[in-house]
Amino acid sequence: MTSAQTIVLPGDTIAPNALPTSANPNKPLTLGPGLRHIPPQTITTTIAGALSTDSKKNAAWIEYNSGRYTPSTSDLVIATVTNSVSEAYSCTLTPYTPTVTLPHLAFESATRKTRPQLANHALVYARVVSASRDTAPEITCIDPSTGKSEGLGPLKGGMVFPISMGMARRLLSGRKGGVNVLEGLSERLAFEVAVGRNGMLWVDGGNVRTTLAVGRAVQEVDTEALGDKGQSKVVDRVLRGL
Amino acid sequence: MAPQALLSPLHQADGSATYSANGYSVIGAVNGPVEVSRRDELPEEAAIEVNVRPAAGVGGPRERHLESLIQSTLRHIILTRAHPRTLIQVTLQVTSLPEEESSVGDGSGFSFSSLPVLPPLLTTATLALLSASIPLSTTLSATLVAITAAGKIKCAPTAAELVRASAKVSSLHVFAFSVGRALLLAESEGDFEFGAWESACEVAEDACCKSVEGMEVDGEVENGQEFLRGVVEGKVGREMRWRTAA
Repeated sequence: MTSAQTIVLPGDTIAPNALPTSANPNKPLTLGPGLRHIPPQTITTTIAGALSTDSKKNAAWIEYNSGRYTPSTSDLVIATVTNSVSEAYSCTLTPYTPTVTLPHLAFESATRKTRPQLANHALVYARVVSASRDTAPEITCIDPSTGKSEGLGPLKGGMVFPISMGMARRLLSGRKGGVNVLEGLSERLAFEVAVGRNGMLWVDGGNVRTTLAVGRAVQEVDTEALGDKGQSKVVDRVLRGL
Repeated sequence: MAPQALLSPLHQADGSATYSANGYSVIGAVNGPVEVSRRDELPEEAAIEVNVRPAAGVGGPRERHLESLIQSTLRHIILTRAHPRTLIQVTLQVTSLPEEESSVGDGSGFSFSSLPVLPPLLTTATLALLSASIPLSTTLSATLVAITAAGKIKCAPTAAELVRASAKVSSLHVFAFSVGRALLLAESEGDFEFGAWESACEVAEDACCKSVEGMEVDGEVENGQEFLRGVVEGKVGREMRWRTAA
């Protein structure tokens, strides 16, 4: 991670010396979200944010935290079932966008006879299998290589809290994301969470009080963009209030 | 009065911005990419819908005209091919007008031009698009230029200046420029000659775009591009402060 941030606006040209240099000259440069390549040599930005680079992966991307979620392959998402057609459920990831398909057999040990019966508005924790701008995205609840659920599947009980997409990415990126509020709360509380890249956090604490406390604590960390110390303070306050 | 802007004041919209300058205040919201109605669907690019709401009353032909101008300008800066068969909806609500403009139309016979409101609308739309992280090929900054009958060029005149000199202003021009100094929009009104238009265009370009390197003068009025950058830097800094926060 670079310490000094380069803030870019759409249309800015990235100087060649701002791009990562890999030790292996054969490794191609990977451009992530927000960057586009105009042949032959120019690399420009398309969204506003902070330029981030990773010299190990030889990758560059723009870090941003606003806008609508657009599905991309292998993202973890929380989908809402809207209806069931002959062989698949139609689900939504964000409001007012075309539905994504979740095949009836894309659950662990599902067969034609024994598949989960999901009502409308049921929540599913799933992974995006394919997403391109020209096809309808497809999601699944099994790991295609092992056939196991790997923690994916219908979400029962609990409650969903809207969080920013940046927060979802922080929560899913582990230590790098710098979120310790959940670890802090789990010392005294028992709860389950699922983080969807589409800006959703599902929390089940067994009872309403715990669920709300956890969800609100994460939302506060999100809106205040709190660091380590700020998060510890939130944890202390929440645990004292319970 | 320096222009002021705020990004993402509305939390339900995908992106939003408020902007006020020269007595005009506009709030804008962007939603997208969302599902498009079959009728408006374009097979290989995103459809762009612009709604302009006036400060008072319902929109009329004047707002439809502004909408078509803004739509055709934004179409060139949004990378519409990145989200085919979707809709990007831009809603702009004028929240306040300068005193001079809101008091005309009371029978004094003087009708206020629709051009002075165009630069704030365009700037708000750009800020809201930035806030919604819609892929753009460039950012846009716009300004109003007035040419008096005496041939004097006034950049970004206030409404009071326009009304006071209403008999003397011979033409009004709106120019919008990209980062790369490309002219994106030129709308003119009134009597003028090509030479005057050209010099007005040059004045607008200086007001919108970053001055050529090495020619920067301290204490100069902040230009349009620098203003946008400042606003975005504030926003990104706020979002990323967890990285540096203790």
